[in-house]
Amino acid sequence: MKQLSIVIAWLLLVLESPAEVDFAHQIVPILRENCAKCHLDIARKGGLSMNTRELLVKGSEDGEVVKPGDAEHSSLIDLILSDDKTERMPPKGERLTTADVAVLRDWINGGLKWEPGFTFAKDVYEPPLKPRLPELPPAVDGRSHPVDRIIDRYFAKNHITRPAPLADAAFIRRLSLDLTGLLPAPDAITAFVHDADPAKRAKLIDSTLARDQDYAEHWLSFWNDLLRNDYQGTGYIDGGRKQVTKWLYDSLLENKPYDRFARELLDPPDADSQGFIDGIRWRGTVNASQTREVQFSQSISQTFLGLNMKCASCHDSFVDRWKLDDAYGLAAIYSDHPLEIERCDKPTGRMAKPAWIFPEIGQVDAGAARPERLKQLAALMTHPENGRFSRTIVNRLWQRLMGRGIVHPVDSMGTPPWDADLLDFLAVRFVKDGYDLKKSLAFIASSQAYQSESVVTGDPVGEKFFRGPVARKMTAEQFVDAVWTLTGTAPTATAPGLPRKLAASSETLSAQWIWSLADAGAVPAGEKISLATAVDLPAAPTSVRAVFVGDNETEIFLNGQSVAKAINGPVPQTLDFSGLKVGHNTLLAVVKNAGTAPNPAGLILEAKVTFADGKILTISSDPSWKWSRSLPDATGKFDHPPTDWLPAIAISKPAVWAGMTAALPALLNADPTMVRASLVPADLLMRALGRPNREQIVSMRPDNITTLEAIDLANGNLLAGLISRGAKTLVASRKSPEAMVDHVYLQALGRLPGTAEKAGLIEMLGKDPGPRAVEDLLWLVLMLPEFQFVR
Amino acid sequence: MKHPSLFPELDSRRPDLSRRTFLKALSASSLAAAMSGIPQARAEDDVVQPAAKADCCILLWMAGGMAGPETFDPKAYQPFEKGLPISKILSTFPAINTTLDGVKISQGLEEIAKLMDRATLIRSHVQPDLGTILHSRHQYHWHTGYVPPQTVAAPHIGAWMAKVLGPKNPVMPAFINIGQRLEGIGESEELKAFTTGGFFGTEFGPFNLPYPDEAARSVRPPEGMDAGRFSNRYAFYRKLVDRSPNRAFMSDYQQESMLRALENAHRLLGSKEKDAFDLTLEPKQVLDAYGSGRFGRGCLLARRLAESGARFIEVTTEYVPFVNWDTHENGHDRLVKLKEEIDRPIARLIRDLEERGMLERTLVVIASEFSRDVMMEGAPGSTAKDQAASKSETLELSVHYGLHRHFTGGSSVVMFGGGMKKGHLHGATAEERPLIAIKDPVTIPDLHATIFTAMGISPKTTYDIEKRPFYATKDGLGKAVKTLLT
Repeated sequence: MKQLSIVIAWLLLVLESPAEVDFAHQIVPILRENCAKCHLDIARKGGLSMNTRELLVKGSEDGEVVKPGDAEHSSLIDLILSDDKTERMPPKGERLTTADVAVLRDWINGGLKWEPGFTFAKDVYEPPLKPRLPELPPAVDGRSHPVDRIIDRYFAKNHITRPAPLADAAFIRRLSLDLTGLLPAPDAITAFVHDADPAKRAKLIDSTLARDQDYAEHWLSFWNDLLRNDYQGTGYIDGGRKQVTKWLYDSLLENKPYDRFARELLDPPDADSQGFIDGIRWRGTVNASQTREVQFSQSISQTFLGLNMKCASCHDSFVDRWKLDDAYGLAAIYSDHPLEIERCDKPTGRMAKPAWIFPEIGQVDAGAARPERLKQLAALMTHPENGRFSRTIVNRLWQRLMGRGIVHPVDSMGTPPWDADLLDFLAVRFVKDGYDLKKSLAFIASSQAYQSESVVTGDPVGEKFFRGPVARKMTAEQFVDAVWTLTGTAPTATAPGLPRKLAASSETLSAQWIWSLADAGAVPAGEKISLATAVDLPAAPTSVRAVFVGDNETEIFLNGQSVAKAINGPVPQTLDFSGLKVGHNTLLAVVKNAGTAPNPAGLILEAKVTFADGKILTISSDPSWKWSRSLPDATGKFDHPPTDWLPAIAISKPAVWAGMTAALPALLNADPTMVRASLVPADLLMRALGRPNREQIVSMRPDNITTLEAIDLANGNLLAGLISRGAKTLVASRKSPEAMVDHVYLQALGRLPGTAEKAGLIEMLGKDPGPRAVEDLLWLVLMLPEFQFVR
Repeated sequence: MKHPSLFPELDSRRPDLSRRTFLKALSASSLAAAMSGIPQARAEDDVVQPAAKADCCILLWMAGGMAGPETFDPKAYQPFEKGLPISKILSTFPAINTTLDGVKISQGLEEIAKLMDRATLIRSHVQPDLGTILHSRHQYHWHTGYVPPQTVAAPHIGAWMAKVLGPKNPVMPAFINIGQRLEGIGESEELKAFTTGGFFGTEFGPFNLPYPDEAARSVRPPEGMDAGRFSNRYAFYRKLVDRSPNRAFMSDYQQESMLRALENAHRLLGSKEKDAFDLTLEPKQVLDAYGSGRFGRGCLLARRLAESGARFIEVTTEYVPFVNWDTHENGHDRLVKLKEEIDRPIARLIRDLEERGMLERTLVVIASEFSRDVMMEGAPGSTAKDQAASKSETLELSVHYGLHRHFTGGSSVVMFGGGMKKGHLHGATAEERPLIAIKDPVTIPDLHATIFTAMGISPKTTYDIEKRPFYATKDGLGKAVKTLLT
């Protein structure tokens, strides 16, 4: 008994502390309930409007109504309490409760605090729901692309100068980063710049989008953010959350039409796409606005409609027209049990009725079973008349390509676009094109508006006008992919569960271990020989993969260029045979045995050369090769052509290397495309660069870098490690300082260095740049604003 | 002949010569304007920031649930006795006297006991029972003031201080987090969810130093690079940026924030303040005084960083499930060690601050996500499931001797310096089970409001995110416990 009274005493202590008046949650409902009919929104009976604090303080035709700080002398309270039928407020109906009057009194005495900017007047702007095909203005200066026709009119109307056209090299870099997230290859840049075909940009857009895997693995991050899907994190371990990774990856790979995409998320045909609507089951007690049902309401509103249901999940929104009942109407569609509406985490006693929020195009059957309701919802969401659905996604795509949305921020689709015709045209066109995301991207990218130089805006936060594309900070994934590309340091494995297709590795090799004698089990320590062959190519290859193991040290030269150097013993590894050319090629391996006593020595090498017609040429080490005791110099050249070439011999007992031999087919047939940053869990570097924790939906990443990120970039060991590995590779390539600077600039920035830049960097590198100088070169270029931005 | 269009000199847009000097365009005011873009601070006239009593806050975090009855709120001592019903156990340590008359704390905290006449001791800190008693959720709640999940990423209290007050010394990161690994441990994703600047952005997030002895590395050039090369590299970088023909594409805002960030980073890395991160610069006797434990070293690092002008520093004993204060078995023996780990370092930290004349303006807070009890899980009446790994109704083995279950009904917080009363006791818990706060309970919003107020931040301070106000204490309702403040 004593214990119980202690508990009660404690509870009283906790509960007793008087609460401050909360305008949003206490005052607004009282005024709405009792004063709306005559004094809110457009009503101003007796000249009194309570829409804003200013208007309320201004009073009525009869003068002052409230005296902030002084309830005693505020006639509002007198009128509310009055029993005189001619003056009492409200004039009819229920009187205010004593508690409400006390709250109003406290509020007035507390100075009449008001939510800044809040007004009871209804937002005048209500975006159209249905699609609308606007009439296109005439083309100006031959700029006939519909986007340009609309934007040229917009520019003229707002007296904005058209941005300058974007040069080829900058265009291919921007396009490649925007559509695939990857830097264009230096060869591709050069070829594109040289191409005289007037239709080359259109062709580039098509061929870039045709790189299905690159496209999918770039847009995967966008969708992971938007669907709050991740590979690890809260809820995954205990089954409170499910990935949609496999479904998403496949959907992007096949460019699934967006209406079907949305339907499969809203009304999942199987478990693979179930995770989005199920959200996160948090452990323990959660606020009513974070139950799975209400998460559903918020998530589908934000992701598909660019609409913020978070306010309305607790109470009628103060900033837009959405009401608590709207939020719960959507939640109830998902709910598998009768759902009680809670206002600010307190039960209201009312039950939610399943309802879609745009009844003008139809409604779900509230009495239907849950699967049927979800199906109806999916149909309404993707209903051809639901223009909000298509406008929201094209606006997101526009924002990704141009830096700012037509409606911006992109999740405030209830606010006006800077050009309604543009938004509506893109949306209608998208639907007409079968909800094809790639086509919509291609359509935007083919406009002159996209193919313009990025513009400098005075204030990216408050800019009201569209002036042209805006430079965007690379995403964490773009940055890391670019670093991995430049340094050749991508990881070899993706996060588990990703359906990335890896080629079968069951194939066997045709290559054999070779040496100067069959019984190579006892080669003298330190013996070094040359092994060589020639390869004739009938045509330019489309891809080349090559692997080798040399026991014990190996350097391989292709056409007189060193392409691989293995000094750490026999390890299966790949080598770069991209230097293979049409016609005659020479291949030379210098292999040295190690140890202090006679021991096994040998070389095995296999390359797979694929041609455009699908034919494959295999280069394998076998007795067709030749060997010599003559050795070339460090650059792979012989003083005199050797005269002692003899046929190489297949080693009779290669079992000693069985493990290594077995590893080669997988390496040879491994997916040659780099593992992308989007496919691995976020590391500290990616997190520092803004890859979000995906517990909340994220539709726009941060657009600047911060001091803490910069410290990571300046001295973080993750980045330093990648740079150091990349530098080693570059040093091994034996490029001249000039060639090295050109190579890095072209790959990283999509251009060659200017004279002043190059002169400085060459001086810094010195004549024979070592790893440290090359590390510095890489760091310098990676830190350039020009590198870190998609411009 | 090279390809003309690959050369920037021949690109259509000529560099804007007026902007070609590194950082020339930078100005503090425009940067400040840019930084405050999103989220927007409310221009609320009625939020008056209180006068600050402290400029720096050090949070000593007892991660995993520090049992009040075994530390700062001892109850009747029950020695180990085989066969004893465990319901008889309230404390497994005897109480000891402190320099504060009539206030005893638990054996093993002798050094802190000598300083209690400078402390404010709260024995009635209470937490809501969040259903499943999950450490990371309670830690999220304690560190952000908001119960997870939230619809926006809630900022850590350190981020609030960084955002509202800014750095005390512009060279130093404003929010430094010492001792917590965020990778490779259990619940790391959950820890990351609150160890963050939240919607304020990474600029206001923590500078993480999981290993105090290696902190110097975080402000040193990368491994294998000497200071000369590091500073040359940056000097060269500035020149290279100036030589770049393609700078006109960026807005001032983008350009400034990026270059300024790199400038700030290099300023810290090249500053004398960076020595504050280097514990090897301390004399041996000081290192010995703080001990070789990670927490002790963290306290020493905190002192050095506070001296150099850090704004908010958290030093944690580190949360790892079932490790450190997360004592689900063997509680007594483990607390002997844990107390050894914290007693001397904390006392030494307070004395060091005092000797340096810094304690007056430095607020030190010792806190934990909840307390422990041998019997309860959650609060009285809670439906939370008991997570004890090894339990018994009677004492049979020493492994059963200790406070093993989570308890949210009453815990202890100790505060020193920075505007807090000296030698002050606030609140009390019952002497018999349930050991709930029976006098002057202090909730998380109110405790935060007290800390914020001491630091000169109104608990009603608010920022707009997604068009909704987000307050320093939940809904702006936290109230400072006035009786604690000087």
